Amino acid sequence: MTSSEKSFIAKHFSHVYVEKDVLSHPVTIKILENLRRSQIVKIDNYKEVFCRAGQNYSLQEKSKKLILAKKWGEFLYPGPSICHNFGYSNFFYISNILNCIYSCEYCFLKGMYSSANVVIFVNIEDYFKEIDAVLKNKPLYLSVSYETDLLALEKIAPFSSAWIEYAASKQNLTIEIRTKSTNFQALENLKPQDNVILAWTLSPQEIVEKFEHGTPSLSSRLSAIKKATENGWKVRLCFDPILYIEDWKMVYERFLNQVFGELNPDKIVDISVGVFRIPKDYLKRMKKVFANEITSFPYEESQNIYTYPKELKEEMINTILLILGNFVPSSKIFVI
Amino acid sequence: MIYIVTAFHAEAKALIKHFGLKKLYEPSKFQIFSGNDILLIESKEGIVKSSIATTFALTKFGAGSKDIALNIGICGAVENAFSKGDVILCNKIINHYSKRRFYPDILIQHSMKEASLESFMHPVKKDSLPLEIEGDTVDMEGAGFFEAASSFLPLHNVHCIKVVYDFLDFEKIDPTEVENLIKQSIPHIENLINSLLKLNLEFCNNTPEIDNIHLLVNILKNSLHLTTYMTNELESLLKDYIIRHKKLPDSIFEFFEVQINSKKEGKNYFDKLRKILHS
Ligand code: SF4
Repeated sequence: MTSSEKSFIAKHFSHVYVEKDVLSHPVTIKILENLRRSQIVKIDNYKEVFCRAGQNYSLQEKSKKLILAKKWGEFLYPGPSICHNFGYSNFFYISNILNCIYSCEYCFLKGMYSSANVVIFVNIEDYFKEIDAVLKNKPLYLSVSYETDLLALEKIAPFSSAWIEYAASKQNLTIEIRTKSTNFQALENLKPQDNVILAWTLSPQEIVEKFEHGTPSLSSRLSAIKKATENGWKVRLCFDPILYIEDWKMVYERFLNQVFGELNPDKIVDISVGVFRIPKDYLKRMKKVFANEITSFPYEESQNIYTYPKELKEEMINTILLILGNFVPSSKIFVI
Repeated sequence: MIYIVTAFHAEAKALIKHFGLKKLYEPSKFQIFSGNDILLIESKEGIVKSSIATTFALTKFGAGSKDIALNIGICGAVENAFSKGDVILCNKIINHYSKRRFYPDILIQHSMKEASLESFMHPVKKDSLPLEIEGDTVDMEGAGFFEAASSFLPLHNVHCIKVVYDFLDFEKIDPTEVENLIKQSIPHIENLINSLLKLNLEFCNNTPEIDNIHLLVNILKNSLHLTTYMTNELESLLKDYIIRHKKLPDSIFEFFEVQINSKKEGKNYFDKLRKILHS
């Protein structure tokens, strides 16, 4: 954002909408302590604000508001088929937070919701209760950062550490915290857990600058990963989504060389690879609000998913795999 | 265009003077003033009247998505936290009867206080204050205005600005005092308007090429005898192409002159065009 934009647009979280039911929840109190300058607006239900008609998503991205709410009903959702399950059959995800402080142009959340505002369900204890019950019958592989970047919001709501501490006592639970954040500092005092995977999404710096607005640079992500591996954490690298841009071959080759020039591949648990793909309806909605290089590409449709034309997709995946083969054994690579 | 809705002339007077508005002599139930891209309508008292006047103004003068609608007027403060003359930008507006709640999108910085507003059908007094009152301030128009305006305009362009007049203990409204209070609030209002204009201008702009696509598609539709389905597809492909390449494909102009003799021929040309637009 330029300085002239900053001067008249309200800061992110200038307003916090709080459901009356959670006003005295300890997580709410903690969050509001950190946002003393924000306007607090009491609401009955988060949908009154989050699902209003007439919101302008792209403008809201300039000044995101925070909504604190209580989660009811379903807490666990089956992992969608367009995501990796890394060989785990009981792959589920939770939505503790909806939306993200970053603004990646390819993010599926832009097609999923009509609002750019961030919803935090503060009653994390209810998620734990629900998972306790499920774990009695079966093991779980759980993505806890699915509709947000949990670690990026750690300063506001320390949920990544809460999930790690919860997982520490559960033997048949594996959690993945996927992030682009460099806020590893927030986890540094925690003991690395065998059943916790910190998964960093990495993209070439060219892509970071062009499409991953507000996210940390590639080099700072690499430094955070290095620290995490040195501290004994299990780290997954996600080269996903790989995007088609001019000179993509050269850009990705340089990128992967940089990544493995700085990281020891032996210290990486595994790697996921996938090209950009998105449910058809989400892309339709994204196109209405965001006209950009990502949304305007002539994708091919198959089973209600839009992705690159078959030949291009294969070429992209094969090229990436070929380069990755110089650094890691194929048993460590998951492709979708 | 900026649409301003006030209930009374006393609330409108200072705004009319400041913005140099002139009375519009069009046949209508309402007093309307306009000038300098501003249109002010006086609704008279009440939720329903405010809603009717707002709807009338926005439809009669063809409001578009970059237009702004403001309800400006006096209110009573339930909370002691306010002083007479405080200018308030409402962050929540409640219709006391339907219990519908409205939330403007406050995306820009401003110099006003913020509070919630609850709209009633009758003047609210301290001794008859309903127990279930939720708003920090009360009035008789805000909810009607907001519900109407937000069904035509995006939420970030619809706002209620209220100036604290009383603490629910008034007997009679003094028009001169109202005019003065509104006059004092004008710098805050102007500041909000300028920021909203800037927001709409800087961040809601389509590229001019895309705005003109319709014309181009029409020509191609005729020259290639396209079906409605093909025409829609062409429009979408052209938009996408311009977004990716920042210009039209050079070869598109050749398709303007094409003479079509059969459906099949038209389809062949369309397939060629599609291929170009996929690149
Ligand atoms: S970091 Fe992830 S969740 Fe956040 S905007 Fe980017 S893609 Fe979406």
